[in-house]
Parts: sequence; C-alpha cells; structure tokens
Amino acid sequence: MSISRRKFLGWMSAAGTATLIGRRSQAATTHHFEGYPGSMGVLHDITRCIGCRRCEAACNKVNELPPPEKPFDDLSVLDKQRRTHAGAYTVVNRHEIDGVAGSAVFNKKQCNHCLEPACASVCFVRAFSKTPKGPVIYNESVCVGCRYCMIACPFEIPAYTYDDPLTPRVTKCTMCYPRLQKGLLPGCVDSCPTEALVFGQRDHLIKLARQRIEKYPDKYIDHIYGEREMGGTSWLYISGVPFESLGMRMDLGVTPAPDLTAGALGAVPMVVGLWPVLLTGIYAVSQRKEKIAAEEQAAAVSQAVTQAEAEASAKLAAAKQKAETEKQAAIEKEVKKALAEAVKAQEEAAKARQVEAEAEPKAPATDPEPN
Amino acid sequence: MMHKGSKTRSGRVSTAAVLALIFFAFGSLVRASAPPQEPEQRADIIMIDDLKAFGDLERPAVPFLHSKHTEAVEKQNQDCKTCHIETEKGLSYKFKRTADADKATAMQIYHDECIACHKSTAESGREAGPVACGDCHRQNDKMNLVSNWQAIDLDSSLHYRHVKANDKKCELCHHEYDKDAKKLFYAKGKEGACVYCHQAQSVENRISNRLASHQACITCHRQRLAQNRSAGPVNCLGCHDPVEQQMIEKVTDVPRLERNQPDVVLVKSAHQPSTPNDLMGRMQSVPFDHKAHERYNNSCKVCHHAALDACVSCHSLEGQKEGNFIKLERAMHILDKNASCVGCHSRQQAAAECAGCHKSIPQQVPMPEDTCRVCHRGLVPRDLAPLDADMRTMIAGELLQSRPRVSGTYAEEDIPEKVAIKTLVDQFDAVSLPHRKIVLKLAQNIKENPLAGYFHRDPGTLCQGCHHRSPESLKPPACNSCHGTVREIKEADKPILTAAYHQQCMSCHQAMGIQKPDSRDCTACHKKRING
Repeated sequence: MSISRRKFLGWMSAAGTATLIGRRSQAATTHHFEGYPGSMGVLHDITRCIGCRRCEAACNKVNELPPPEKPFDDLSVLDKQRRTHAGAYTVVNRHEIDGVAGSAVFNKKQCNHCLEPACASVCFVRAFSKTPKGPVIYNESVCVGCRYCMIACPFEIPAYTYDDPLTPRVTKCTMCYPRLQKGLLPGCVDSCPTEALVFGQRDHLIKLARQRIEKYPDKYIDHIYGEREMGGTSWLYISGVPFESLGMRMDLGVTPAPDLTAGALGAVPMVVGLWPVLLTGIYAVSQRKEKIAAEEQAAAVSQAVTQAEAEASAKLAAAKQKAETEKQAAIEKEVKKALAEAVKAQEEAAKARQVEAEAEPKAPATDPEPN
Repeated sequence: MMHKGSKTRSGRVSTAAVLALIFFAFGSLVRASAPPQEPEQRADIIMIDDLKAFGDLERPAVPFLHSKHTEAVEKQNQDCKTCHIETEKGLSYKFKRTADADKATAMQIYHDECIACHKSTAESGREAGPVACGDCHRQNDKMNLVSNWQAIDLDSSLHYRHVKANDKKCELCHHEYDKDAKKLFYAKGKEGACVYCHQAQSVENRISNRLASHQACITCHRQRLAQNRSAGPVNCLGCHDPVEQQMIEKVTDVPRLERNQPDVVLVKSAHQPSTPNDLMGRMQSVPFDHKAHERYNNSCKVCHHAALDACVSCHSLEGQKEGNFIKLERAMHILDKNASCVGCHSRQQAAAECAGCHKSIPQQVPMPEDTCRVCHRGLVPRDLAPLDADMRTMIAGELLQSRPRVSGTYAEEDIPEKVAIKTLVDQFDAVSLPHRKIVLKLAQNIKENPLAGYFHRDPGTLCQGCHHRSPESLKPPACNSCHGTVREIKEADKPILTAAYHQQCMSCHQAMGIQKPDSRDCTACHKKRING
C-alpha cells in the first residue's frame, strides 16, 4: 500500500500532537514521595571513618558471603578504588584530597536504599521492592538475569554473580533486612568502632545530621548527601570534604529515577488506546473522500451511460424512422415506377394492338401481369 | 558477501563512512594521548583592558607579561623610561601616556608603540612579541597562563626595615590630604596604613591602592638604586611572586612601633565623652593589654582594619554608617573575623597544641556566661565616666594584673599515672592508658600560652577536654558514667562506650597530628585476646 508523503506527515503529526497532550498532563504532578513514615536509614559520618574495614568483615560474616581474597585487616586493598562486586555488598575506599598533604579520607559505599529506587522501577519482573521499613530487597526467585538494574542504578551498586552461570543472582546490600526483623542492627552499623554509622529513623537521622553540621560548621560541608539526591535515599552521608572528591556524584539531581521515565511510560496506554482510533478515523475520513469520489464517479458514469443510451435509442429510432420512410419512399417509387412501366407497357401494348387491330381485328384486352 | 564496489552510490557512501570512522577513531586517540599542558604560572600578568572605561571591549583584553618586558628592556641597557613617561610626580604608570583622553588615541598608542617595538626587535634578530591581532588579543580559554600573583603586606617586619632605612622619617611615606588646599601634607601622630584611604578602586583623585603603592614604593626604590643604595624591588616579581616573597628578609624581634599608642586601655563603649547618665546599664568594662596584643599580630591592620582609632569611633553601640552598621557588640564577638576579639581567640584554638581538645568542643554562640567574666571585669562604664584618663589607665593596668591565670592543671601526684580501661574486655585485652603522661604533655602545651591560662580558669578545665560535660573536679567521672554499652537510637548523638573511647582518642590524635598510634592499628592500644 503506498501512501502519499502528505498523508504520512499528516498522520504522524496528528499522532504526535495527541501524545504530547497526554504527556504534559502526566509530568505536571506535584506529588513527591518522602518515604514511608517511620522508615529506617543509616547516617554515615565520613569524618569519623578510619578505614578499618570492620564493616566489610561484619557484612561478610552476617550474610555468609564467601571469604575474600585478601583478609579484611589487610589495608593495602585501599590503595585502589573498589566497587561492590559479587562477594562484597559494601566496600570502603580511601581518598587522598588534592592540595592536602598526607590526607586520607575514607568512606563506605553500598546500596543507598533509595526512597524510589531505579532498580525497582526498571525491573519488569518486580524482583526489587522498597519495604516500608526502609530496605530495598531483592527476590532472586523471579529474577531473569537481564541486569537492567545494574544499568539503571545511578550509584552503580548492584553486582552480579558472573561466576555462577547456572543460578546467577544480583547481589547488593539488604540493610540486613532479616536482622532488622529480629530487632537487631545491620551488621556494619553494629561493628563500627567509631560509630561512623548510625541506624535510626530517616527523619531523625536528618535532624541529627543537621545538628552535627550546625555544631561544628568548620568540620562539615553543609550538605546531607542522600537527603534529596535521586528523590532521597535511606543511606545518608555527611562529610568534611567535598563529596565529588570521594567519588560521590553530585550531578544526579533530585528527580527520583521512576519519574524520569514516568512520562514516556505513562504515554504508552494512551498511545495504544488513542492512536488506533485516531489513525483509523483519519484513514476512514480520507477513505470516505475517495469513497464519495467513487460514488460520484459511478453516478456520473451511469448518468452518462443512460444519457448515451437515450441518445442512442433516439438516434436509432430516428434512423429507423428514416429507414422506414425511405423504404416507403423506395417502395412507392418502385411501385410508381412499376406502375409507370406497366402503364407504359400497357400503352405500348395498346399501341401495338392498335396497330395490330388496324392490321388485324381487335385483340382482347388482357390484364397486365405484374412482373 | 556481496560487495558492491565503490563505483556505485551505496558503495561510495559505505566507503566514506568507513573512512570517516577511521579518522574519528584515530583523531580521538591522538587527542586523548596528548597530555594537557601545564599552564604557566606568572605573577606579572597585567590584563590590558584600559579601554573598558570607554565602553564594551571589542576584542579580548590583552595579557601582558610585565617582567618579561622589563628583562628584555634591561638586556638592551634601557630602563623603565622606555615605556613610562617621567613626570614631576615620578613615572606615569600608564603606557607611554599620562592620561586616557579617548578611546581612539589610547588604542592607537598601544597598537603603534607595541607593534613597532616588536617589529624592530624581530628585525634585529631577537625574540620578539606578537604583531598579529589575535596573538595579543587572545581568547581566555586558549591562554595557558595562570596568575600566581600574591599581594604583599607591609607587615611590622617590613615596616620596621623601612623605618630603619629612612631614619624614622615618617613624612617620606605617610601623608594626609587637605581637601580645601588640595594638597598632601604630613600630620604627625596621625600616621596610618595606606589602605585606610587608598582602596581597591580610584575614587575621584584618591587613587587606588595599586596605583598608590606602585607610585610610592617603586619611585623611592628607583631613586635609591640610582644613588647606588640598597633598595627594594622595582619589578613585579620582586614583590608579588610567591617564591620571591618568601625570600624577603624577616626581622624576628621587631622593636615596638612608635606612635604613642597606649600600653593598657579600658575599651571604650562611647566615642564622645558621655555623662554617667548616658552610660547607664552598659556591660562591665574590658581592660585590654594593648602592648601584649601588638606582639601577637604581625600588623596593626589585623585589629585596626580601617583606622588607627578606637573601635568605637566607627562601631558605635547602636550601629552607624561608618561602621557598616556593625554594632560594637558584634564587632567584638563575631566568630569568623580576625579583627574581632572572640574571632581571633577562637582561631587560636585551631593550633595543633590546642586542637586535640578544642576540635571536639562545639563553638557556642552565645558563649556560656562565665566566659564573659574573663574579659568583662571591673567597673561599669557609668562609674568610670567621671574618672580622668590617667586614672582609667591605672585601673585598667590593675585589672589586667589581677586576672586569674591558671598555667596548667592539678599537681602531678594527684593525676593518676595509668588508667586501666577494662570495661569492654571482649575481643581485646584491657587498655593501659598512660594517663599522667598525656595530661602533663597537654599542660606543658598551655603553660606558656597566656590565652589558655586566662580561659582555663580552673585547674580542672584541662581535664574537661576528655572528661567533658561534667563540672571541673579533681576526680572527674569516667566515660562509662554516661556512655552505655547498648545503642539507644534516641540518643544517637551520644556514642556507646566503645565508640566514645575511639572517637575521643582518635579525633584528638588526628587533630594534633599524632601519627602513632595509627587509628587502625588496634593492637597499638590493646592486645588482641587469643582465647576470647
């Protein structure tokens, strides 16, 4: 089926306008989620972290993870920046701050348990869920191993057990959800010797962080990381050095990850519902025009045909009439001619008879036989 | 694979695409491998943007390297007069002109003179500057220059060297301005810092600090050099290059400046003489040891930031325009300015000997009331008003002498020598804390420090560095009096006992720059328990 360029452009713009109208109403929402009431979180005070890695050891023990290559009291692993991987839900990294000789700042990195997680938003089998208590937990029984969550996470946290090809799973910090159910603290929080990690209700932790920043304005940067980043996270950080120097992204914005795609995704049902109707309508309208044109054409044709027939029959009748007339005329002419000839013959015969009669006795008059 | 040759249209397109891809790939590789050039750091960059006075600049300002040119000029055995016109006031610090009449003339002078000299220099075979438009008027992001220009402060050491060199002839530099006669004159006893009048920008005929310092300093230095006497620098780098600044000789024991300043003074709360009634209900007077404070700073300008007068001449009690509407109380107590008493004192707490304790003590604003008594002591202004100046000075002296000063802490035998911290024996053995050694070291740190001596009003104050949130006492409480072993979420700001110990010890070590014991070396403080 070939359609004209004009028609194609017309359909596309109609479809696009319809979609746009829908999307604008979706994004103009004033609702934002501030977390389930009473949900828990952890405050990480980076100025208190000494990089001893006891949190990593505790996490490994509590979650029954495989033993690491280098033991946890080996601090030479801090020479390189590490990220979470299959056997490590959390890592501690060391950062040297530019311009300050011999400075070393440590910070702990793990799942931030966002209020509106990107991993949960992107997972189409709902393997991740944000619990009202705070942690974002993972259900490995439904996971298909697509690893969209690894791509979606703005903090690049989820890791994957590539070494286990038959039963792979995504791995990340669970905020020790089973332990929380039992009223215990997360493993890392319990083991930190300097209380660089504090567990509590997220709102209380934010207040606590603000108090600390206010009490020691020279010690802290005036920002709680995670208060609003990506719509808010349950793991909050306060630091004495700029967050960028710790490898913590400051360009994430405050929009929660699901909101970034809500507009486009929300348009899908409307598109699926509206476009067929709209496009069919346009098609129908454009076809109708042709249909009417066809009808008109047919009517015109039939009318023309009828007219032509009428004319033809009239002509025929006229021709017939004429033929008839001519025939009659011809017949009459023939008759006349024949009569004339007969008369002439008769006259000649009479003449001949007369002659004969003069010569002979008169011949009986005979009826001329018409030839 | 069906391969259409490049003769066909689609074949040509695919060839072009492949070629483009290869070019881009190589191009990006090359760009990535070339290391970024380190920008050159120079202290003599002058941005020529004088034409800004006549409207927006059409081309970018020209970065001019002054020292480079002085060196080049010196090599030709020429001097400043090559570019700077000599007037009766000294050299004009504009380029080949004394004033900017209009845009066209100024621009012409720059173009003609600069380019002509560059051309002639190039013709004689020497390295010369640019002659093309874009080589001087360079875009900002293409310049590989970073200014490391540093302002130079005439601190007390440098000032003293000038005093000595000029035989204490203050009139050579210090002047006042008579607005009616429109003349500069010397007013003895009213000498002040240049910056009190000469600000960042020129205002009418009061020239900017930059112009004034160059005119005053360089003219004198040049004169002395012409007379073959030792003098200060005459080029940019000599004063403004960080490395050269370090090399300026520092006099360690600067004799006291002679400007008839008081030794001790009662800080005034009113500028004009006031009747006792006016001074009703004012805060107790502060006796101030001016002589001692002269030694604590390397320049009068730290406190006398706008004039060599009493603070209250601008910062009145209620606040007035001269003082930027900063009230007297604010000027004395504001935390983040060095000119403020409290501000400077709190800066001292950041010193390594003090920071161990003071880093963990939050700055309280307002301060606890008993801290006020350290400064505010003695009579109220209302009672002092009727007294004459000599009497007031005497009272100030006496009040200063009578201040309690604690130069350390309790007697050595009263301080426990070793404290065994055995409340948490679990993975590790008990800690044997060398308690007396630490306390005596801290006491030693503050022994010579008068500020510490006045503010540590009690021998037990020093103990409160660790035994905090408790009254001063010879037998202060142990940590486990308040810090428990079970985490109480509601008391999230009161760490549990383990964390309290660790935070206290580790933060003090870090603040004081103590490398050993390392915070992560657990066994440095407590042995590991083998059978736990």
